[in-house]
Amino acid sequence: MTRLVLAALALLLCGARAEAADVVIGAIFGLSGNAAQSGQDAKMAMETEAAIINDAHAPIPMLLGQGGGLPHMGGAKIRLIFADHEADPQKARAEAERLITQDHVVALIGSYQSATAATISQVAERYQIPFLSVDNSSPSLSARGLTWFFRTSPHDVMFTQAMFDFFKDIGAQTGRPVKSVALIYEDSIFGADSSGVQRKMAAAAGIKVLADLRYRANSPSLAAEVARLKAAGADVVMPSSYTNDAILMLRAMHDIGYQPPAIMAQDAGFIDQTFVNAVGPLAEGAMSRSSFALDAVASRPAIPQVNALFRARAGKDLNDMTSRELVGLQVLADAIDRAGSTKPEDIRTALRATNIPGAQTIMPWRGIRFDQNGQNTEANPVIEQIQGGHYRTIWPADVASAKPVWHVGE
Amino acid sequence: MSLAAVVQMLLSGLLMGLIYALVAAGLSLIFGLMDVVNFAHGELLMLAMYATFFLWRGTGIEPLLLVPVVAILLFGVGMVIYRTLIARALGVRANRGMVQIFITFGLAIFLQGAAQFAFGGDFRSIGHSLLANRTVAFAGVYLPLPQAAAGVVCLLAFAALLLIARTEFGRALEATREDREAVALLGIDRDRIFALGWGLGAASVGVAGAMLAGFYYTSPDVGANFALIAYVTVALGGFGSLAGALLAGVLIGEVEAVTAQLFDPSLKQVGVLGVYLLVLLVRPRGLFGTL
Amino acid sequence: MLRRRRRRLLAGGVALLLLALLPLPIGDVYTLNLLILTLLYVGLSQAWNILGGYCGQISLGHALYFGAGAYVSTLLYLHLGLPPSLGLFAGGLVAAVLALAVGWPCFRLSGHYYAIATIVVAVIFYLLALNADFLGGASGVYIPFKGDSWVALQFRTSKLPFVYLALAYAALVWLLAWIMEGTRAGFYWRAVKDDPIAARSLAVRVLPSKLVAAGLSGFATGVGGAIYAQYVGYIDPDSVLAMPLSILIALPAVLGGVGTLWGPLLGAALLIPLSELSRSYLGGSGHGVDLMLYGGLIMLVALWRPEGLLGLFARRGGAGTHAGTA
Repeated sequence: MTRLVLAALALLLCGARAEAADVVIGAIFGLSGNAAQSGQDAKMAMETEAAIINDAHAPIPMLLGQGGGLPHMGGAKIRLIFADHEADPQKARAEAERLITQDHVVALIGSYQSATAATISQVAERYQIPFLSVDNSSPSLSARGLTWFFRTSPHDVMFTQAMFDFFKDIGAQTGRPVKSVALIYEDSIFGADSSGVQRKMAAAAGIKVLADLRYRANSPSLAAEVARLKAAGADVVMPSSYTNDAILMLRAMHDIGYQPPAIMAQDAGFIDQTFVNAVGPLAEGAMSRSSFALDAVASRPAIPQVNALFRARAGKDLNDMTSRELVGLQVLADAIDRAGSTKPEDIRTALRATNIPGAQTIMPWRGIRFDQNGQNTEANPVIEQIQGGHYRTIWPADVASAKPVWHVGE
Repeated sequence: MSLAAVVQMLLSGLLMGLIYALVAAGLSLIFGLMDVVNFAHGELLMLAMYATFFLWRGTGIEPLLLVPVVAILLFGVGMVIYRTLIARALGVRANRGMVQIFITFGLAIFLQGAAQFAFGGDFRSIGHSLLANRTVAFAGVYLPLPQAAAGVVCLLAFAALLLIARTEFGRALEATREDREAVALLGIDRDRIFALGWGLGAASVGVAGAMLAGFYYTSPDVGANFALIAYVTVALGGFGSLAGALLAGVLIGEVEAVTAQLFDPSLKQVGVLGVYLLVLLVRPRGLFGTL
Repeated sequence: MLRRRRRRLLAGGVALLLLALLPLPIGDVYTLNLLILTLLYVGLSQAWNILGGYCGQISLGHALYFGAGAYVSTLLYLHLGLPPSLGLFAGGLVAAVLALAVGWPCFRLSGHYYAIATIVVAVIFYLLALNADFLGGASGVYIPFKGDSWVALQFRTSKLPFVYLALAYAALVWLLAWIMEGTRAGFYWRAVKDDPIAARSLAVRVLPSKLVAAGLSGFATGVGGAIYAQYVGYIDPDSVLAMPLSILIALPAVLGGVGTLWGPLLGAALLIPLSELSRSYLGGSGHGVDLMLYGGLIMLVALWRPEGLLGLFARRGGAGTHAGTA
């Protein structure tokens, strides 16, 4: 009885504005607990994209940028239901089940921490609901033969390949190639994946690994770790660290008068505005891979409008993470629109047929096309460098907005 | 390893160790006084760091000068916690030990939530100050000034605590610790002494937090990064012993630096915790434990 | 005394029957998940209660035994093909051995020294597991799904099997506590807890009786960890070995009533739904309100009912009085 009344109420409330039934998507992020900030940012990115799809506004030059709902579904609106996994795999699993069975979402999207994507993808597989991973970078996720798993974002192998491709290019250009690297990475799934790939690719490229340091995340001090980096004296220091440790690391380098010729970071902390604000000039020249280039306006004309909308919500610019989250929802909404149906099987078929050119998004990617493992193969990352306190895209040349500053071999 | 590198390693360990000692001092003081382990100690540190950050941002005053202000603030916080929670926890009839542990755990979780509520999850850090990012170098050994200043302040704080122990209040503290019933007969208000003890314990972690904020980052769960080390420092030094906390803090700082240098740096805490367990096997009450 | 024990057993049987019927009308997966977690924590907390409550040794490192059970049963399944329905006993045994190995040196420590030592030992194992590649390191271990099976303890979407598995687990640990209450060891525990020095002079062999408690407690916790691993299908050091888990295991018993048969049940029935629901419906705001609520509740209960919430019922002359007063 109560349920009937509630349903009637819901109909009354929604009926007024929506002709077609809403398309309900479940979004799972860590909204509280240790990594709450990343989850909150993701939530605002998702809400920004949902508003772009649903609301009436000046057209934005990208896919589904015209507003007014999903065109092939009678203007149906995207409705997001957010769930909080607190970075705990068990809770991620429970929330995924709740969204599927209680809220009857047609697809899941998430989830930042790779450990949570591990359990969400298992639930999606069991309930046969598509799960779109938008920002998880662990390569193992798309290597488990899952059939309901899709990932728009590059993973660590693709990201790291970009770094080594850049090393090759810049070495050829300047005649000062990278001969050695030092790896420093936190003791998490992120650090393990990232360093594992870096080790392999360095060996393949004939680059010596002079230091291979796994450190305890959130340590009170990184002085000893940085002293070992200094002693190693590699051409490039390659950190895989979150914001807090990135701050600590650069300060500790400065404390002992160590300035490596180059820093090439695996994103995360090194691509966070908080980090730049905290260490100021110490961050100058640091490079990071990224999948987003805020300054690639020439080839991606939608960026200024989308960024302005995000800024109005979040009070900060889009970054590597939030842009991937935003575009992930765009891709999922497009698949549902093309499917013209909210049946999971139809959505999966449409996702598999996805072929979006990069220029239809805000990403500097070639585009979005999934292989049989659900991995987007067209997501080519970029390299950014902090120049004058701002992130500048320096590679590849077709989306670059600044020239690399390269001190290796000087 | 060069000589300079060895000196650098020991120096880094010493500076960090002094910070550990200062963070642990308040914990040790409170325990020695009333047999209470405060599991929200890391959260007091977090409050002190936020206080320093916001005072600095709001007024632009040099963080070093804010140390006494933050210490006084935390003194108040300590008194309030004692009056509202701990005094009651000491008064319960059943499961006193357990109530005391879990009440401070509850407080820790509450304070983390409150910090998240009030300040958000972003990492805060003091960008510029008199000492920030300044270093002096001598013969290839570098001395970062914010940490050096923290070390000096730590030693001063310990000196102050030891001086306080010699005052009338200190003797009252000592007497209250030794014999709880007898002091009541002497006309000492035990409750007042306990409250002041909590204030003093919180104030010393306030000093530590204010110094730490000058070179570390601040977030709602930053306390956890220091809390475990603080408990180990206190237990290693011997609960209730100030000199023990100082020595144990420095020892832990050095063990950590040496472990991180010689082994996988991610195991540096294992080194510290392992040394602690070994000491405990030989001396079950820590290095200077008397209780 | 005997009659009271028999009455308690009867009450336990009735509770078991009621709980067994409870899930039948519930079709909703989320509620069933809540029920499974709650029952799991009833068992885990009762396991902790054997050592922390009855014997009075406040362990804050039970995550170690939980994680040991989870890892051992999972790795035996993945590498040697031992079905988890048997592997959970192997996990329990390894956890028991660990508990004895930790207990033997640490029981010499008193009060806070003991509590902190248990935290430290558990953290050491957590850090080692993060760095141990043969355990999957920080990346954790997946348990592949191979179809519904009671032998492998895997079920595609059905929740009922795990409800009954968790119920059986909680009931057996309860029964273990009930049995031990009536044994000589149970009597020694109360003596050790109330006054260790007097107990020793009464020729109670203190250390052996503590070790019995540690072994049983470790075993039961390890079995719970193994069940958890099968239920979630993925384990990593952060979810099965980290320090906050130790607190979660102890909390229901502490808030419900330490050293009692019904305390862990009452505590878990309150705490687990509260924390899950507050996360689902408040946590999304990211403002920390759920944490404030949770921490506030712990403080409130600890101050208002230091003997545990069970005291509310005891006052009216009901079922659950302190074991120590029996």
